[in-house]
Amino acid sequence: MIDQSNHPAVELSDLAYRYAIAGPIAVAVDRLIVESGEQIVITGASGGGKSTLLHLIAGLMEPSQGEIRVAGTSINSLRGSKRDRFRGQHIGMVFQTHQLLLGFSVLENVLAALMFSQIKKSQRKARALALLEELGINAPNARIDELSLGQQQRVAVARAIACSPTIVLADEPTSALDPSIAGTAMDLLQNACRSNNAALICVTHDHTLVDRFDQHHRLEDLAPDRAKAEGASACP
Amino acid sequence: MSMTDWDIVTKSMKSRWFSTMLTVLTVAIAAGLMALLISMRSAGEDAFRRGTGNVQMLISKEPGPLASVLNSMFYAQAPGNPIAYSDYQQLASSYPFAWSVPTQLGDSFQGSPVMSTEASFFESFEPAMGQRWLLETGRLFDAPFEIVLGADAARTHGLAIDDSIELEHGAPGALGGHHHSEFAFTVVGILKPTGTAHDRALFTSLDSSWILHAHDRRELVFGHGIRTALDDVDDIDRNITGIYASLGNRQAALMQVLSSLRTDPNWTVANPASTVGGLFTIVSNIDQILLAMAIAVMLSSGISILVALYNSMDQRRRQIAVLRVLGASKLRVFNLVLTESAMIGLLGGFVGIVFALIAGQVVSGVLYARVGLVIEPSLPIDGYLMIVLATIALSCIAGIIPALIAYRTPVVRSLRPIG
Repeated sequence: MIDQSNHPAVELSDLAYRYAIAGPIAVAVDRLIVESGEQIVITGASGGGKSTLLHLIAGLMEPSQGEIRVAGTSINSLRGSKRDRFRGQHIGMVFQTHQLLLGFSVLENVLAALMFSQIKKSQRKARALALLEELGINAPNARIDELSLGQQQRVAVARAIACSPTIVLADEPTSALDPSIAGTAMDLLQNACRSNNAALICVTHDHTLVDRFDQHHRLEDLAPDRAKAEGASACP
Repeated sequence: MSMTDWDIVTKSMKSRWFSTMLTVLTVAIAAGLMALLISMRSAGEDAFRRGTGNVQMLISKEPGPLASVLNSMFYAQAPGNPIAYSDYQQLASSYPFAWSVPTQLGDSFQGSPVMSTEASFFESFEPAMGQRWLLETGRLFDAPFEIVLGADAARTHGLAIDDSIELEHGAPGALGGHHHSEFAFTVVGILKPTGTAHDRALFTSLDSSWILHAHDRRELVFGHGIRTALDDVDDIDRNITGIYASLGNRQAALMQVLSSLRTDPNWTVANPASTVGGLFTIVSNIDQILLAMAIAVMLSSGISILVALYNSMDQRRRQIAVLRVLGASKLRVFNLVLTESAMIGLLGGFVGIVFALIAGQVVSGVLYARVGLVIEPSLPIDGYLMIVLATIALSCIAGIIPALIAYRTPVVRSLRPIG
């Protein structure tokens, strides 16, 4: 068993992704390390491969080359249900459109994430309720479609950190929100990650968010030589 | 409390409750139809076999054995061809019967058949194998114009001991029938139910019936208003319509007697058990078609499960992708869809069995009211269990394609914002 406390939250080495085997590189990262609890933002143009990078880190896509380590474990060397289980236990995701389970209550959405976590069954409901309270959701039995977009965002954050993840991957977390509440939503996400000791990688095209983070990377700067050599293509 | 796969399955079913309900209903109809057919078939055969009791030979002058059994033992119609009582006596003395009882049908009371016979009918003939006649109240007839009621006849007509009734000459609904107001019959006994067609009959002595016939004959000669008594009965009136007979345990002799009687063109001889067996061979051809139809309905219900789940997969693709992101494996989402399909099968099978039990009671009530047959359509518990298990198995097969779609759901593509 790997002692995850001595490893960075995420470590990318020599990473490249091509949509087709002989196609151009869509995403490339020479080396990127995100330490435990660290919060970084990656910016880039729309369709530049930011979401693809998050999907690669989450193990939802296979890199064409290189290695992705999450909490010291090479996620791309895990296969099938092992990778799914690892994702459920170590990675939280926040999406632009929240991707909450319609027809489920607020509480059930958070409990759904806990189904795949290492947290004991007897503690799951208490943890879900505590998280929702911490994030200001006072109606745990309300249906998702009864909530405002801002409240849905809070539920999405609660779900992402429910499994006590090593890393939270946030994909354009504010793009669906009114600018007046986007700042609050980011505060919420970042504070939730801090209080749960989860690292955060946020990808966005919104440069106004950059100052909130410990580190800022432009996607095209993560592998400058390869990007220039192959001319990184847009994500379809 | 924590969330389980079961919660996800029930949520999914509830979120599409109308489609789920219709699919369950389709499966229920198919499972119910199958359960009803199978249970009715075996119960019907049992009821018919029970009705023939311990009669090894039914001898009559009906056109064929099946008509003979249906008319003389199940009261379908009044037998049309009379047998002279003297012929019966000669026959009874010519063959080594363990017992034989003459029966005469043709009279009725308010639609219920009246069987005229001898007192030995209640001693020798067992309405169901090993089951003797028992009186609920009163006694058996021992004089003309005394009548004993089958359990159902007493209940249907609300008759009690010492009630007086008048019979109609002619079977229920027969042409040329007429009311015999000159002769009042007194109810002297009511029989316990036997679970056979005999429960809806009334029983009286042959003498009573022959006096009615003699009276009809004499009225033609002497006109209305005459009185007729047993002394007025002539040989021409002494007719019967059937003979219940048995050779007891002498099986070898039975085959010889049957063969011998069958060569005599004057007689129609039926072995009731084999005739009923033959009837069910014919019926089984029909119910095999019905069973095939039930299987076809079952298969189409399987297809409807497939269609309902398949159509839902488009709506559920995003949900499945989210579950995958949260940590659900491909196999787990496959199992979720398959469990949902199995649940539809389980619910459908269960509701179908309830349908079958209710419909069975209705059909059994109608059959009892119309033909007095006690058919209790039931299967052993493992029979019902097999039907439910078969329904679940079929549902699981139907769920494989939608489950494979869930298994293969492309997570990243399914999570892309719409538009």
